[in-house]
This record gives sequence, C-alpha cells and structure tokens, in this order.
Amino acid sequence: MSGTGDVAWTGGVSDTGAKLIATSTVTPTVISMTRIRGLGVVSLLLTAIAAPIFGFGQPASARVIFTFGSAQSIALPQLALPVRWFSLSMAVVMLLAGVVLLLTQTRRGAYGVFAAAVVAFLWSFLAWAARGNSLNLTSVLASSLVASIPLIFGSMSGILCERSGVINIAIEGQFLAGAFMGAMIGSWTQNLWLGLLAGAVVGALIGLLLAFLSLRYAVDQIIVGVVLVALATGLTNYLTNQLLNPFQGTLNSPSTFPALPIPILDKIPVVGPVLFDQNIFVYLAVVLVVAIDIALFRARWGLRVRSVGEHPEASQSVGISVVRTRYRSVVLGGAVAGVGGVAFTLGSVGEFSVGMSAGLGFVALAVMIFGRWRPYSAFLAALLFGFSDALQSILAVLNVPIPSPFLIMAPYLVTIGVVAGLVGRAVPPGADGKPFLQQSKG
Amino acid sequence: MGYKSKVMMLAAISVAAGACGATSSTAQTSAKSKFVGCLVTDTGGINDRSFNASAWAGMQQAAAQGHFTVRYLQSPSSSDYASNIADFVAQKCGIIVTVGFDMGPATQAAATSHPKQKFAIVDFGFSKTYANVDTLQYQTNQDGFLGGYLAAAMSKSGVVGTFGGLDIPTVTIYMDGFVAGVRYYDLKNHAHVKALGWVPATHRAAGSFAGTGLFTGSFTNENDGKLAATSLMQQGADVIFPVAGPVGLGAAAAVQQANNGTVMEWVDTDGCISAPQYCPIFLTSVTKGITVSVKGAVEAAANGTFRGGSYVGTLANGGVTLAPFHDFNSKVPASLKATLASLKAGIIAGKISVDPNSYPAS
Repeated sequence: MSGTGDVAWTGGVSDTGAKLIATSTVTPTVISMTRIRGLGVVSLLLTAIAAPIFGFGQPASARVIFTFGSAQSIALPQLALPVRWFSLSMAVVMLLAGVVLLLTQTRRGAYGVFAAAVVAFLWSFLAWAARGNSLNLTSVLASSLVASIPLIFGSMSGILCERSGVINIAIEGQFLAGAFMGAMIGSWTQNLWLGLLAGAVVGALIGLLLAFLSLRYAVDQIIVGVVLVALATGLTNYLTNQLLNPFQGTLNSPSTFPALPIPILDKIPVVGPVLFDQNIFVYLAVVLVVAIDIALFRARWGLRVRSVGEHPEASQSVGISVVRTRYRSVVLGGAVAGVGGVAFTLGSVGEFSVGMSAGLGFVALAVMIFGRWRPYSAFLAALLFGFSDALQSILAVLNVPIPSPFLIMAPYLVTIGVVAGLVGRAVPPGADGKPFLQQSKG
Repeated sequence: MGYKSKVMMLAAISVAAGACGATSSTAQTSAKSKFVGCLVTDTGGINDRSFNASAWAGMQQAAAQGHFTVRYLQSPSSSDYASNIADFVAQKCGIIVTVGFDMGPATQAAATSHPKQKFAIVDFGFSKTYANVDTLQYQTNQDGFLGGYLAAAMSKSGVVGTFGGLDIPTVTIYMDGFVAGVRYYDLKNHAHVKALGWVPATHRAAGSFAGTGLFTGSFTNENDGKLAATSLMQQGADVIFPVAGPVGLGAAAAVQQANNGTVMEWVDTDGCISAPQYCPIFLTSVTKGITVSVKGAVEAAANGTFRGGSYVGTLANGGVTLAPFHDFNSKVPASLKATLASLKAGIIAGKISVDPNSYPAS
C-alpha cells in the first residue's frame, strides 16, 4: 500500500521522523527474574502432577499408540509406547527445566526452557489420556489449525486497527456479518468467490462505520465497537428469519471451498496433511500473517501506521495524515475480519446459523493481546487456542475422567492462563483507543 | 480504567446487548378465531432442523386446521426465556408453548404466577402437576436403543460414536439409549463394537441419565459439531449420532467432506426431510414426535379441551420412532430390519431393557 500515492497527498513525509515516533514509546519487554523463578515453580508443579499420575500411577503393561497417518502422505510407522516409562522420562524433562529456571542467572531462553517443560507435560498427558488406545496426532494437529482459523483472521484484524490507534471491538460483528453475507451471496450466485468478496466488503463497511464514528465524531471506540456488534447480531438474526429461513434452498445452501492439496508437499508426513491439504482459508490465513508482518514492520506503510498509533500528534507534525491512515487501517482490518467470518460458513459448514461465531471475535482480541500486537506471536496464540479446542474434543472421545464442562472450558482457561500468567504486562500501542482531534490541516 | 479490563467488561456487556434482539414472527392463517398460539423457542430457533423446528411445525399445522394465529419468539440466549414468556402472557396468548429442557424453571415460574394462562412445555417434566401446564416428554432412549443397535450392525470399522450439544438429560437420554443398543448388539452377537462419546455412569439413580461424554457446549456453533465429528472419525467411528440440534449440521458437513464412507443418524426429526441435502449420508433418524404432541396440545387449548398433565412419548404410542432408511433402504439387510422390529416389540413389552448398565460394556 505504500508508494507514490502517499507522498502526493501528504506533501512529503519524513520517514526518519516516523521511525522515531513508531519506536518511541515501545519499550522492549524484558522478562523479570521473579517471573523466571515463577515459571520454574510451575515446571516443578507440572512434574509433581505428571510423575505420580501419568507415570507411577500407570501399570507397567499400559501402552499407548501414537499414529501419524493420513490417506495421502507417506506413512510413518506408529509409535507404541509404555505409558509409565514414557511419562516418567517426560517428567525428567520437566524437572530439569524447573531446576534450570530456578537457578539460572541469565534471562535469555527462559521462555524456551519453560516451553520444553510444557510440551513434555503435554506429551505425558496425551500418553495417559490415550492409554490403551491409539491417537492420531496428525489429525489432532490438522483440527487445531482449522479451529484456529477464525482467531487468526480476527487477531490480524485487531492488530491492523490497533496498531493505527483504533480499538476494534467489532470483530465479533464483522465475523457474523461476513459469515452471513458469505453464505447468502455464495449461495445466491452459486459463486464462492463472490461470497468471499461480499464478506470482505461487509466487514470493511462495518470497519468504515467504526472509523467514521470514532475518527470523525471521536465517539469512544469501545462503545462504538460494542454497538456495532449488537447491530450486526440483531441484523443477521432478523435477516436470517426473514430471508434465509424462508428461502433456505436458494439463499442459505452454498457449497464450501474444497480442500486444495498442494502437490508433492502434501505427501510430507505429518506436515503435509496438516499444512498442505487444507482449504483456501488456511492458506490465506498463513499468507496474511506473513504479509501483515512485512507490511507493518518492513514497509513504509506500516511505519506510518505504527507512528500514527503511537503518537498521532507527532506523526502529523512530520506530515502524516493521521485520520486518513487510521481510516485505511480500520477498513482493511474490517475486511480481514469479514473474510474470517466467511470462513465460518464457506470455509466450514456451508450454511449460516444465528450467532454462529459464538464469541470468538472477543477471543480473537485476547489472542491479539497475548500476541502483544505482533502478527507472528498472535498466530502462535491462535494456534494454541485451536489446539486446546481440538484436544478437548479428542479427550472427550477418549473418555478421560474430566467432567465435560471442564473440557469445554479448556480453551478459554488456557487463554486466560496465558494472558494473565505468561504475557505479563502487555503494552498496547501508545495512542490505542485515544481519539485524535486534528488541530489544523497543515 | 486499564485497556484490558475495559475491553473485557464491554465485551461482556455487548454479549448481553446482542442477546436482547429477540426475533419474532407471526404466521397469519386467515384468522377467524381470536385464539393465538404462541411459541417460545430455545436458542436454536425455528430453523434448527430439529426440535424447535418440530415444535413450530406442530403449531403451524394446528393453525392451518383450526384457522387461528400462531406466533413465535426466539430466545437468543437463556436470559431471554422469562422475558419472552412474559411478552406472550401480556399478549394474552391462548396457549404458550415453550421448547426445551432449559426453559423448565422459567415456564414453571410463569405458570405459577399466571394460573389462568395455559402452557405446554416440550422436554420437561415437573415434580408436581399443574392444571395449566401440559408437559410433553419423550422416552427417546427407546428409539435411541434401536439406532444404536442399527449403527453397531452397520459399522464396518467396529467403532461408532455419538456426541451431544449440552450435558442435559433430554440430550443424554438419546446417547444413553444409543450406547445401550450398541452394548446389546455386542452381547447378542458376540461382537466388540465400541461406542465412543458417551460413557454412562455405572452407579446412578433410576431415571437418571448421568455419565461423561463428548459435548459441543452449545446448540448454536456448527463449527464445534464439525470438530466433534472429526474427532470421532479420527478415532475410527464410521457411524455418528449427533444429539445437538443444528450443531449436528456441522457434523454432517464434516462427514460429507470427509467422504470416507462414514454415515450418520439424525436426531429429533427425519433428517431426510428437515435437512435433505445430507440425506445421502443419513442412515436413519432417531425421532421424537414433538410436532404431533405440540399440535395436540395447541388444538386442545383452541377447542377448550385442554387438560394439564403429562404426556410421555414412547415406542408403544408412536411418540418416539426410528425414521425410514430412505437412501439406505436397500443397504440395510432384511434380516436386520426384522431384528429391529422384534427389538421394538421387545422394548414395548418391557422384555428388553434400554438401560446400558443392564449389559456389559465392551
């Protein structure tokens, strides 16, 4: 989006100035030693759970079989493991990680060590949960990625908006509107691409409304966002009853985007079926994450967006049009969320049903915060949520002795846990949510 | 106020705000009578291809024959039940039909405070009888049993699966019967078909349908149904029985997209009629006669023959049935059809238990 057009209407922007502004208030987050010690204690607690329950608690004869197969990829041999010894060796990893975190004097790599402990815990937990059964890990990973798709689009939308200084609470509304329009237009025209376009457009329109009210009239952005969610919920409910239900066959029976296996790559064991045998939304989500990261942190366009989000007055003083930059970011963010909405219908179950986004638009905001307003981190956070969602479903099938309400809670508990416990103090962009009143048109 | 706390607080408010937008509609059928039949739906809404749709169909049929008006209000969330019922009480409805187990307490409260207002409630029974409430309940573990036996007999992988929307008795009674049918099949045929997604509690009170299993947590998010069906298929299930209203449509989408020979049994209504696009994967449907019984209750209220009390649908009175096989009619062996018929007779006669704990778990 950057280029000569920008210069034409700004009348020359000092990008050195923009760079100074964009990085002025962002302090590099340093992990405190207290937090590292805390992570060490948590690692030891994980050991204390895993060793007696998943390890010594299991008879020596208990086996678990991990499989990695899929119809297409090259077959990997299945892994038959004795639950007790496998879990105990994982417990050793957790123990070591805990000791390292408690004794270390350097801050570097602390999160990596803790991640090793968590992954080891997860492995031993899976071995215990699936004992006496076989568990197809490739399928679990594929389900995780699919479950995280709305959150990837939602959090990317949030990042685009908030980096420019506008809070987009309306993601949930953009999801619903996008899902609705995608299903209706996709079904009516029998053209999925038109449905996708319609979803992006309606998301962008809601973004435009958000931008208009919050930039032109400086209405509190959070209030506006909430109102827009209510508007989208009410409108889609009403239109579903008035239009989609009576004309189910023509207006709400679209087909869905088929899986597009990428030749050769989809034959790679594990990675192939998970990453390269998915539908267009999965590829689009991954491309979007990379593109937004480059646009925000490697391109002039992103430099201006970030400077506007950090310090609008200073940005204006170096010749950047704050309002126009924010408009573009918010409209673009809306389109991204709209496409995420279309993933609910054309990317998944086909038809629209009332309230089908089920609050994931708000979870996407948590994912964005967990990802500290950075595309790659938010992507990982979305994957974590998707993984816990896929995992709770498979755990229920395996009949682990955990009551189903707690299993259903699991993805949300994980989100709360990581946002509260791991992220620490997340610093939003300096001018996030603050209205900017343009003094003069320079 | 901090950024995060502000966001989260308002997120909560907006969920509530979104929920306020109850949708409603009126089906006008040359209203000769002043009688108005009113329906409060659960969160699924009248287009759930399942129990809310069945109830609304019963209302419409009664209206068409009796020449009166019927209306409905959808409850976007459980917090709307009481206010929707109150709206209809204020509109002086001839009868208010509430749909779903979750609406029990709200209906009970309204029936107690408005003793002259007639009510009917689908899927709920009260501990005491009210003169102004007709409770409509269904022993769906009876046809669920038949569905489970059929699933076990038709499974090629030796694994079948079920999942529910919410962990409530009107859902788990289906899953319970399904698992009982699978266990009975294993016992009688010395087979080892596994039923995933529902494990009945071994020690429980009579009439309880407690246990642990796979639930999507709502009747609205179809993507969760897709995930649940995918998980079941991952663990080898090739017959899937979702008990989750419209969320089951997500499962149907997953099964159709997987295209690996997996089939489904639909729930509440005949799936080949309510969701015909998925008929090719519907082995059968485990139904309950909501339409007929709601129609009966509304007509009784319109004709002045309404009596409070309780109706229980069973295999014996046709209140619960296994739907036709449709596309699978030629694929279900005649011997299996005969067995199902004799099982049905056995259940009606009380000779065959539909309690899964009567049989060994495989």
